[in-house]
Amino acid sequence: MAEETPYTRKFRKELMAGLSSLVLLAVLARAGREMYGYEIAKAVKAEGEGGLIFKQGAIYPVLRSLNQLGLLDSRVEASAFGPPRRYYNITDEGRRALFEWQGAWRDMRGFVDDALASQGAVYEARPSA
Amino acid sequence: MKQDRPPDTVRAYLAALQRSMKAQGCKPGLISDALADCEEHLNNEIAMNPGRSEADVLASVVETYGTPEEIAEEYKSMEAAISGPFPKSDETLPARHYGFFNVVRDPRAYGALMYMLLSLVTGVFYFTVVVTGVALSFGLAILIIGVPFALLFIGICRVLGHVEGRIIEGLLAVRMPRRLPPPTPADETIWTQIKEALIDTRTWSTMFYLALMLPLGVAYFVIAVVGIALSFGLAFGSIWSLITGRSDIQISEVPWLEHLFHTAPGLILAAIVGIFLFFVVLHIARGVGWLHGRIAELLLVRL
Repeated sequence: MAEETPYTRKFRKELMAGLSSLVLLAVLARAGREMYGYEIAKAVKAEGEGGLIFKQGAIYPVLRSLNQLGLLDSRVEASAFGPPRRYYNITDEGRRALFEWQGAWRDMRGFVDDALASQGAVYEARPSA
Repeated sequence: MKQDRPPDTVRAYLAALQRSMKAQGCKPGLISDALADCEEHLNNEIAMNPGRSEADVLASVVETYGTPEEIAEEYKSMEAAISGPFPKSDETLPARHYGFFNVVRDPRAYGALMYMLLSLVTGVFYFTVVVTGVALSFGLAILIIGVPFALLFIGICRVLGHVEGRIIEGLLAVRMPRRLPPPTPADETIWTQIKEALIDTRTWSTMFYLALMLPLGVAYFVIAVVGIALSFGLAFGSIWSLITGRSDIQISEVPWLEHLFHTAPGLILAAIVGIFLFFVVLHIARGVGWLHGRIAELLLVRL
């Protein structure tokens, strides 16, 4: 993949800022059990092609903010090897938020797709004459 | 931005993360949390890839986990997005133009006042634990149970330091670590664990802080109690005397003061002084809270 311009990186970051919460809630809701940070990071990576856009280190602050909002529960447990792990689980409130956010995302995606496709144009990186 | 060699050990990565977070102006408490998260993740990554060397794993980590600079940015922006029970201190910095009497609406002043009252109890408790622990650790050092006891004591100090951090964040609104630092891995021998704990300056600074809390706690408690009693006593006592027309104050050595408490203008003046004093107490509490927050950041947060 070609080196991205700084605006593209900034754009990706801004897009991801809100969506990462949605993705993490979805991962935890689908798993249906509690998971610890590293496990969640691996699960996010497995989500698809886009996984790597999302740096694993970025999920920890998001998990923490979701925890503080009450959308996730957490507890610390010693592990057989390595450091103690913080396990996260989705709360009922988190499930409700996930349901609503999913709707918001569909609306948003539809709106953006329409805006991009309405002219029937394909945008290419071509210098204008 | 300077492009240095990518870190090839967990320690180097953590050090780089700490540097970039400091460079971006993050609070020590937030940095400590980020380091704890990062250490947990990296150790898991290494544990999951037993066949590969630490340097090998670290090389791929920068791709998947992110560079220290990126992670620092993520934490910083997330912290800004989370709103706590108190206004962010960056926003309240122009509080200078608040004016003298507006302190009565500042939640931090009351939090600090609560903390000052509480600190006598916690201070006595921390001091007792530290003195008992240090004395027993040295006393038992010649016995076989001396070493495990010293380790237990160090662990207790860490937990107490963390609990104190939670109290401080709740009452003084200073960002403190929200999670315990990861302890040394259990597979290390007891001697390496002791060595790690002994060379960790945080162990010593935490113990020092816990012992220091006795004199500080006594001082805070005295300031708070005297301040509250004096201001409320003057204000409500004078008002009560004004309403009932009685004054039982006898200060025969200082006739002019006694006269003051037996005449209506004097009583009104005393009431005003009492109310004014209450605002002064709130200001002192806010100042003490700020000062104590700095002390705690310096001694309790491991960096």
